[in-house]
Amino acid sequence: MTGAPLDGVRIVDLTVVWSGPGATTLLGDLGAEVIRVEDPRRTSRGVSARTADREVGGREYATRSYPERDPGKRPYDRSPIFNWHARNKLSVSMSLGTPQGHADFLRLIEKSDVFIENNTKGVLAKLGIDYDTLSAVNPRLIVVRMPALGLDGPMSDYRGYGPNFNALVGIQAMDGYADGDPTIAGENYHMDEASPAGAAFAVLAALWERERTGRGQLVEFAQAENVMHEIGEYFLDHQMNDRVPAPAGNRDPLVLQDVLPTAGPDVWVALSIRHDADWRALEGVVGAADWLSEGRTGELRTRNADRLLEHLADFTARYGVDELVDLFQSAGIPAGEVMSEARVLADPHLADREWFQTRSHPTVGTYPYPGHPWRTDGFELRWGRPVPGFGEDNAYVYKDVLGCTDAEYDQRVAQGLVSDEQIV
Amino acid sequence: MTARPALTAGGGPSQVFDDLRVLDLSRWVAGEFCTKTFADFGADVIKIEKPGEGSLTRHRGPYPGDTHNPEASALFLHLNTNKRSVSLDFSTTIGRQLLLELAAKADLVVESFRPGTLECHGIGPRALHEANPRAVIVRISAFGQTGRYRDHEATGLVLQAMGGPLNATGAADRPPHRKPGMLDHCTIGRMAAEAALGGLFSARRSGRGSVIDVSGMEALLAGADRRASYLLTAAYAGMNAPRGVRSPHRGAATFTGSFRCRDGHVMLYVANQVFWNRLVDLVAAGDDGFRTRFRDRFSFDSPEEQRAFRDRVEDWFATRSKHDVMAHGQAAGIPLTAFLDVGEVADSEHFRGRGYFIKADHPAVGELEYLGAPWRMRSGWRLRRTAPLLGEDTADVLAELNTPLAPAEAPGGAEPV
Repeated sequence: MTGAPLDGVRIVDLTVVWSGPGATTLLGDLGAEVIRVEDPRRTSRGVSARTADREVGGREYATRSYPERDPGKRPYDRSPIFNWHARNKLSVSMSLGTPQGHADFLRLIEKSDVFIENNTKGVLAKLGIDYDTLSAVNPRLIVVRMPALGLDGPMSDYRGYGPNFNALVGIQAMDGYADGDPTIAGENYHMDEASPAGAAFAVLAALWERERTGRGQLVEFAQAENVMHEIGEYFLDHQMNDRVPAPAGNRDPLVLQDVLPTAGPDVWVALSIRHDADWRALEGVVGAADWLSEGRTGELRTRNADRLLEHLADFTARYGVDELVDLFQSAGIPAGEVMSEARVLADPHLADREWFQTRSHPTVGTYPYPGHPWRTDGFELRWGRPVPGFGEDNAYVYKDVLGCTDAEYDQRVAQGLVSDEQIV
Repeated sequence: MTARPALTAGGGPSQVFDDLRVLDLSRWVAGEFCTKTFADFGADVIKIEKPGEGSLTRHRGPYPGDTHNPEASALFLHLNTNKRSVSLDFSTTIGRQLLLELAAKADLVVESFRPGTLECHGIGPRALHEANPRAVIVRISAFGQTGRYRDHEATGLVLQAMGGPLNATGAADRPPHRKPGMLDHCTIGRMAAEAALGGLFSARRSGRGSVIDVSGMEALLAGADRRASYLLTAAYAGMNAPRGVRSPHRGAATFTGSFRCRDGHVMLYVANQVFWNRLVDLVAAGDDGFRTRFRDRFSFDSPEEQRAFRDRVEDWFATRSKHDVMAHGQAAGIPLTAFLDVGEVADSEHFRGRGYFIKADHPAVGELEYLGAPWRMRSGWRLRRTAPLLGEDTADVLAELNTPLAPAEAPGGAEPV
C-alpha cells in the first residue's frame, strides 16, 4: 500500500448544507485533512439543541431521524443530514465575526492548501476573507467558491435550493409524469448531486496545476453551469430540431420501460426492454400470451408502449419482487427492485462487497454507514471516524496546527471563542 | 471533409491536463462523461471505437431531422468534445497488440464493458499493467467487478431503483418516478472522473498504477442524492423515507413545489420561517387579515386552512407570468424561480452574458453552440475541437505510436485496423 493520494493536503472547509459538504467528503476519502470551521453561535449543521427540544415527541420524519429517535444532549452530533457526509472530517470551533476568530482563521489559511465554501455570494466579503485577502496570506492557496449561478451575471444573487436551480437550467422542465405538468415528481435535487464529485474534481485539478506552477488560484465553480453538462445533448437537439424536451416519466424513447407494481404493497420493480433480444427473452419469461406479438420490433414497442406496459403490469402484479427480479435477470433482462432503505441495508450483494462500514462515535453510538462511492486496490481510501463531535478537534487545530500555547488556548475557551458545544 | 486542426499541436494557452493521455474504451454515457472531463481540460483522450460501428452513443441520437446518423448524434457530439477517435478492433491479434502499445503510453484507461469482457480479450488489468505499471485503470459497471449481482443487467432506470432514492419519489397514488434524461449515468461518470484523478495523484506519488472499481449502484448510494442521508436515517432510527412527501428531512415548515403561472411554471422552496413570512407578505398584497392569520406559523390547523392558503398562492401565481413571479419572489428574498426550457436557458441574459455558450464547427453537423466551462480556473476548460468522426484520428495516432505493427499507409486516416 502506498498511502492515500491526498496525504499531507490540508483543506479548510466552510461549506454548508449539501453540495459543498459532499465535495469535502470525497476529498477526505482521498486522505486530505478536512477541517470544518464551525461557529459555536451558528447552526452550521442544520440542527440545534433548541430546535431539537421542540422536536422531541414529534411525528415528523425529520424529528425522529436521530439514533434511536433521540436527539440527545448534542443533536448536532447526531443528525443524519449532517452525518451522511461527516466521515473523516475534523471540527474546529472558530467565530469568524470576532477579531480573534478572524486572526485565527487567517493563521489556519496560512498553513493550508485549499479553502472551499458554498455560501451565498456575498458571505466571504462580509467576513473579510475574500480571495485577495486570503491569497495575500498564502499565495499557494487554492480557493474554491461554489456560488450556484456564478460570481457575476444578472441572476447571480438569486436565492434558491437545488430544485430552484434545476428549474433555471432546464432540468426541472423535463421532470414529471409523461401526461402531466413539469414538476418535481422525484427527489430531484440534482444540482446537489452533481456538485460534490464535480467540485472535488475541480479541487484536484487546481492542485494538479499547482504542482506545475507553484501558485494557487481562485476557482469559480458555478454549480448551475456544472450540472448543465448532464443535459448537454438537449441543447444541441434544440438547435438541430428546434424543440425542447418534455416530461417523460419513467419512459424512454428507445427503451420500453417503466416502474411496475408487484404483489407486495407499494413494492415496485423497474423493468427495461432495450432491444429485440430482450423482448425474445421476455417471451420466454411470460410464456404464451396473445399480446406478445405486439412488441416484437422496436417500432411496435414504441407504437404500443402504453398497452404493452399495461400487460406487463398485469404480469408483474402477480409475483413478489424477489421472484420477478430473479425471473427477468435469469433471462438477461434489466430489472431491479425499487429498494427501500431497509432493503438496501440488508442487500446480500452489498454484503458480498462489504460496502456498509460499521463505525462508532461516543455521542452517536455504533451504526452501519454508507460506504465509499468507489473502491481501488492500488492505494488507500480513508473511512475512519464517522463524525466529528462539535469542536472535537479544537485542541489539535489550535495547539498543533496554529501553534497556540496552552495559556492562549485556555484564554480563548474562557472568552467563549472556543467551545466544544454549539451554543445556539 | 475539411482538414481539422490537430488536437495535440501547440498553439493556444496551456491546459491543466495537457500532460495526460487517456485511453477511452467506454461506449456509453458514464464512461464518456468521465473522459470528457479530462479532454475538456486538456488531456489527449483517445477513443477506441469498434470499426464500422463506433460508440453506442453515436446510435442514440437525437439527430438532425431525426434521421439516424452516427456522425450527428447530439449525445455523442456533446460527450466527446476534444477527443480523438481510433477505429480499432481489439478482438484481433494485431488490434490487441496495438491497444497494449497505446496503453503503454497512457496515464489512464477507462472502460465500461460488462465485467470480464476485457479479460476475455486478453486486455484485462493484468495485461494492461504488464504493458504499463503506472496506468490508472478505471472500470465502470452497473454493480461492480465482484458480488452476486456482478453479471446482472441494468439500465439507468434500474440503477435509480436500486441506487437512488426512487422509493421516496412520485405521488403517493402513482408509481415511483425517476430523474429525467441521463442524469443517473452522468452521476456515475462524474464519480468515475473524480476516482480517476485520485488514482492519477496516487500514481504520480508512488509511480504505481491502480485498478478502480466503480459500481453504478454504489456510486448512486454514496452520492449526495438524498439516498445516503435516508440510508443513515434507516440505520439510526429504523425508518424508510416516505413516498409522496417531498423532502421529509426538512420537517413541517416547508411549503414547496411547482406552481402554474400564466405562461409556465415556477418552483417555490420555502424551507424555513423567514422564507415563509416573506411569502405570506408577498401574496397577502394589502390583505392585512390574511397576513395576520398566516404570519409566523409553522403549520396549518386544518386541511381547510391549508387549502385556503394554497388557493391564495395559486391565484397570485396564476395571474402573472413566470418571469414576473420570479422577479417579485427574488426581490422579496424568497427561493422562487421560473422553469426554463433549454431554449430559454440558451437565450438567458445571465448564462449568455457570462459567455457560457461556445460556437464551434463540426464536419457533419456544421456550426452549433456547445456548453462552455463547467467551472472556471486558470489553464482550464477549452473547446479545442468538436467530437471526432469515427476513426478520424486512426492514422495520426498510429503514426505517433511509430510501431512496426501499424499499417504503413492508412488512406484518408479513417481505415480501421
